[in-house]
Amino acid sequence: MYKILRVFILTLILFALLSIQLFAFNTTEINQLIENAKTFDGKQVVVRGETIGEVMQRGNYSWVNINDGSNAIGIWMKNSDAQQITLFGNYKNIGDNVVVDGVFYRACPEHGGEADIHCATLKITKTGFPVTNPIPTIRGILVFVLFSALVIVFFIIYHFKLLKNSPD
Amino acid sequence: MNKHSDSINSIDIISYYTGYIVFGAAFLMLIPIFASFVFAEWATLIDFIISMEIVFLVGLMLILLGRRTHQQKASIQWKHGFVIAALVWILMMILCAIPYALSGHTKSFLDACFDVMSGFTTTGLVLTQDLDHLSIGLNVWRHLLTFIGGQGMVVLALVFITKQTSGAYRLYVGEAKDIELVPNVKGTAKIIWKISMIYLAVGTAVLWIAGIIIGLEPISALLHAFYMFTSSWSTGGFGPMSQNIMYYHSLLIETITMVIFILGSFNFGLHYAIWQGKRSELLKNIETQSFFITSFLACMLALYGLSRFNVYPNAISNFRRVIFNVLSAHTTTGLGNIYPRQFALEWSDFGIMIMVIVMLIGGSACSTAGGFKGLRVGIVFKGIIMDIKKLLSSERNMKVYKFHHIKQYILEDSVIKSSALIIICYLVLFFIGTMLGSFYGYSLASSAFESASVAGNVGLTIGITSPAMPAALKIYYILAMYMGRLEFLSVFALVGYLVGGIRKICTRY
Repeated sequence: MYKILRVFILTLILFALLSIQLFAFNTTEINQLIENAKTFDGKQVVVRGETIGEVMQRGNYSWVNINDGSNAIGIWMKNSDAQQITLFGNYKNIGDNVVVDGVFYRACPEHGGEADIHCATLKITKTGFPVTNPIPTIRGILVFVLFSALVIVFFIIYHFKLLKNSPD
Repeated sequence: MNKHSDSINSIDIISYYTGYIVFGAAFLMLIPIFASFVFAEWATLIDFIISMEIVFLVGLMLILLGRRTHQQKASIQWKHGFVIAALVWILMMILCAIPYALSGHTKSFLDACFDVMSGFTTTGLVLTQDLDHLSIGLNVWRHLLTFIGGQGMVVLALVFITKQTSGAYRLYVGEAKDIELVPNVKGTAKIIWKISMIYLAVGTAVLWIAGIIIGLEPISALLHAFYMFTSSWSTGGFGPMSQNIMYYHSLLIETITMVIFILGSFNFGLHYAIWQGKRSELLKNIETQSFFITSFLACMLALYGLSRFNVYPNAISNFRRVIFNVLSAHTTTGLGNIYPRQFALEWSDFGIMIMVIVMLIGGSACSTAGGFKGLRVGIVFKGIIMDIKKLLSSERNMKVYKFHHIKQYILEDSVIKSSALIIICYLVLFFIGTMLGSFYGYSLASSAFESASVAGNVGLTIGITSPAMPAALKIYYILAMYMGRLEFLSVFALVGYLVGGIRKICTRY
């Protein structure tokens, strides 16, 4: 019985891993879209990436840029979809991780020949979070050391009158 | 003995003035420090304080090393002017790279130096990683560098720190600027900065409003307006985000920046003449004539060439993707609204060739732009026409040929020769870069595109420029950007000075 249970659990784990691989295979890297733009032009694609910058609302639709590490691309989506996004990536935040299912255009006729994706569905797979940018102690020390060096140099210049004009 | 003292004096003079400019440049770091403080980016703030302290120390050391110049009121000779200008650019590249390196967004210090030189020379190629998570402080610094580089570091220094004007002209010319708007060079430097600051205020305001219209938050729109103005006016090409100008998805932003970078590529002398009411200068000037002709031809050829391959679906697409990129290349701006690889994959060899040619031609002399410059192209072209006319006319016919550039000049052989020489230097720089690119396995078209982009200080990339490219290529590109920006003379003077110094040391021992 224990053996059967073990095999069952192992099968489940394997199945889960395979599903992840299968899912990963379905998403296309943004760089791959650009490199094979003619192949993907007008086709349904799935991309995954971090939302960056900010949402730019244009009427009933919005532009949201996503970056998957290989490249970044503009996603044209309904305002209702854009409103689902909680955080955008910048210096202080890691943006939401989203999966976008939509149509890729190599030179979108609607958007002045831009390479973009028109979103059909948007799924947030991981919500964004703030990042801390700690100051290393050594840098704090360095500020004071360099400041002290500057004070010493200024003192030497002033005390020894090093930059005084010599009498003609 | 005389020779020996002369050599010591030269080192003193060079060290003193280089130190003075470096010391002055340290104050520039107060701007990103202020930005970091306002936006509570404490780690970036500390990075900039460290960098500023280092720059202050280096500047002070150099001033102290050359203090005899101050004490004896030694004046600058031509050779000093050229060497100081060339040396300042190298030293500033290293010092201004410190905040980049401390930020952790560059893979090596060489990459940081590459980006600073790219900014200073208004090239716009980027090796900084993860731009989308860059701090506001560092972004302000990147764009400030490109703005300062566009007008000239030495020009800025002349406005603020040089009390006496004797020898100032030598420093000014050393930075590849030779136009005299008013009789004294300090006044000229002030006018150059005045023109730029007025455009900065107006351009940033216009882009700010445009930013709000396209959906950016007001504060963010203001920052983006500053970034995009400095990038366009200085014909730099940096963008605050990894997608460059594509981030905005906006015809409005593209059109405004296009107007700004065309204005930025014009000679400061032309701006000054127009401000003084001499509007006819716009049509009479050999540079504007040259620019309008070459840009019109390039745009038409690129449009025709790309339409044969149906690269873009309609007229608006063609305007936004073809005209914008060709003009961005011609003005040596380097703002790109297509992905770099799209040039290689979609524009065909014909499109790439057009881009290479316009990148090499570049903008106007004494502007923020790079390349051969329209003035030289116009002079050489007129020289060829003059020679043909002379061949066809009677020997007794002694006609004087002229060209108009702010005022009337006689087209002399010496002017044609010096223009042709600089063009040849640019071509050599371009060919070496192309060969080096091909040597490292990149295609000829890609190598030529990237080489033209660095030699002409453009900043558009076809995909070669990346942290993964060979270090030798990075170093060559840094040199090419530097030489292209200073138009060779100062760099040759620095090399000559160094070689002369080494020879002296060798003969002494």
